[in-house]
Amino acid sequence: MAQANFDRRRINGPDESFQPIFDSDEEDETRWKPGKPRKGRGARDIRPIFLKAGLINQANGSAYIETERTKIACAVYGPRQSKTTVYNEKGRLNVEVKFAPFSCTRRRVPIRDAEDRSVAVQIQQALVSAVRLELLPKSTIDIFITVIENDGIQGCIASGSVAASAALADAGIEMLGLVASCSAAVVGEEIWLDPTEEEEKVSSGTLILSGMPALGTITNVWQSGSMAPEDAMKCMEACQERYTDIHAVIAQALLENVQTT
Amino acid sequence: MAVALVSKSERDYIKTSLQTASPLRADGRSLLDFRTVLLETGVAPLANGSARLNIGKVAREGGGGTDVLAAVKLEVEDVESGDGVDGGRVACSVTCSPSAYSHLSSNALDELQHDLTVILQQTIAHRSLHPSNLTIIPGRKAWLLNIDAVVLADSGNVVDALFMAARAALWDTKVPRTRPVEYRAPESSRATEKETQDSMDVDQGTSGFDTRDMARDAADFELPDYWDEGEVLHGRERWPICVTLNLLPPIHLLDATLTEEASIPLRLHLMFSFPPSTPPILQAIRLSGPGELDLAYVKSCITDGEKYARELFSALESKLREEDLRRNTKARDRFSSLR
Repeated sequence: MAQANFDRRRINGPDESFQPIFDSDEEDETRWKPGKPRKGRGARDIRPIFLKAGLINQANGSAYIETERTKIACAVYGPRQSKTTVYNEKGRLNVEVKFAPFSCTRRRVPIRDAEDRSVAVQIQQALVSAVRLELLPKSTIDIFITVIENDGIQGCIASGSVAASAALADAGIEMLGLVASCSAAVVGEEIWLDPTEEEEKVSSGTLILSGMPALGTITNVWQSGSMAPEDAMKCMEACQERYTDIHAVIAQALLENVQTT
Repeated sequence: MAVALVSKSERDYIKTSLQTASPLRADGRSLLDFRTVLLETGVAPLANGSARLNIGKVAREGGGGTDVLAAVKLEVEDVESGDGVDGGRVACSVTCSPSAYSHLSSNALDELQHDLTVILQQTIAHRSLHPSNLTIIPGRKAWLLNIDAVVLADSGNVVDALFMAARAALWDTKVPRTRPVEYRAPESSRATEKETQDSMDVDQGTSGFDTRDMARDAADFELPDYWDEGEVLHGRERWPICVTLNLLPPIHLLDATLTEEASIPLRLHLMFSFPPSTPPILQAIRLSGPGELDLAYVKSCITDGEKYARELFSALESKLREEDLRRNTKARDRFSSLR
């Protein structure tokens, strides 16, 4: 009860203080309810993508992607010599993700934590089959991804893979194809592509699909939440259709970068 | 996950024999056969629920196989001032015993532990599976459900073992019954003011610990029966199990041993939940390992995976019920027959 800062000579304030709770009625009306259509876009529309390659001069390759409230910068260093003494016949792809402390609603501690690594693992899974690592023995390719603003983990993983793929191409690393990625959420009976954080909260399950549209193959599937298997397959089909469009965006950004430099 | 030291020729040998017209595996199983699975519940008496699962133990050799021990421990958390969430929360963790992975450095072991923890946490702690009886006092105190799994030995297929052990431990979990309690000071001071009017026959024997209808204002709780283990955790029919398909297009394998996992690094983990009288639900999909797939192959894997998961699920179900029977009814009968 008596805290260390209890001072008998002065009038003390309350021991604990709490933030005021704002109850705004108008928020309740605009909040999404089941049965209503999606706010602001169609169910199968993705957010417009801004992708620019070559923004970080110090790195071998870089890209910056922005889709409404998700902003990610990616830098690629490599191929450079592996620090390990073990002989690796194939090159290694090392992905590191960092969330800026101001990227989420609640301030994130700058120490690397669990969520950073799980996003990095998914992005690595999406890219590892696309990069021609067998041409780079004893080398490592480092991909550093910084999330400047985070609007949902699915959006981070999808946009992060797209940015990393553009950065790898910008660095001139040989690949089998450009990797594109799209996320989907099952909300009620509908499938919404590219969900934001709020939309993900009202969904029953989400899915992220990554692949190489040029070859028509899939490199990563990630699904979470409760979804019927048929819904999961429908989500995958919708994502695959959509990421073919995203591939065109990546190709366009890379072409513009080459033409201007 | 753990890569055994396998040479290129051995890898090639394993892959070639699997791709023949009549596929051959090193231990003679068919592509879809599981090794023997042994399960025992109630192995950790201090835990609220526990299970030990072993896949592929060879009785004559005395040991071996993938051995996982999972235990559930409930802790009380404060919703207002602590980390608690109203309605309770679920936290999973996986520890890999260094003796199981002696060839890994401590950094690599940490990363493996972290990856397994993330798979378990993202699937089991999802809000669609959240049990409904983890509240103690609404808005004030709730249970934190800790599921801790320890991998004691790994001889392949550790993810399936983890999910089965976690499901068994959660099935076995009993949540202690609580009752909200509030102390109110007895109104003795007011009685002295009115003593000229009232006589002393008013029931001043009301204790401060009146527990009727306290749920709204209660700040504390008690266990009505200290020795009662409690009620079962709600929603236990929905906990998912995992089936791992090792992919070698156009075929796939179930329950790979360590050398098979090293030769076929591409793996698809499918977590299915089979609630009673509803169609099956996919709780998670994870793909790991280098390799490209086409959509039709992935779809066929999901369809086949559902069938395998259903068989695994019903076998696990019947074993869990058998375990319940062994520990409760049969134990009581044995005890009463002694007297």
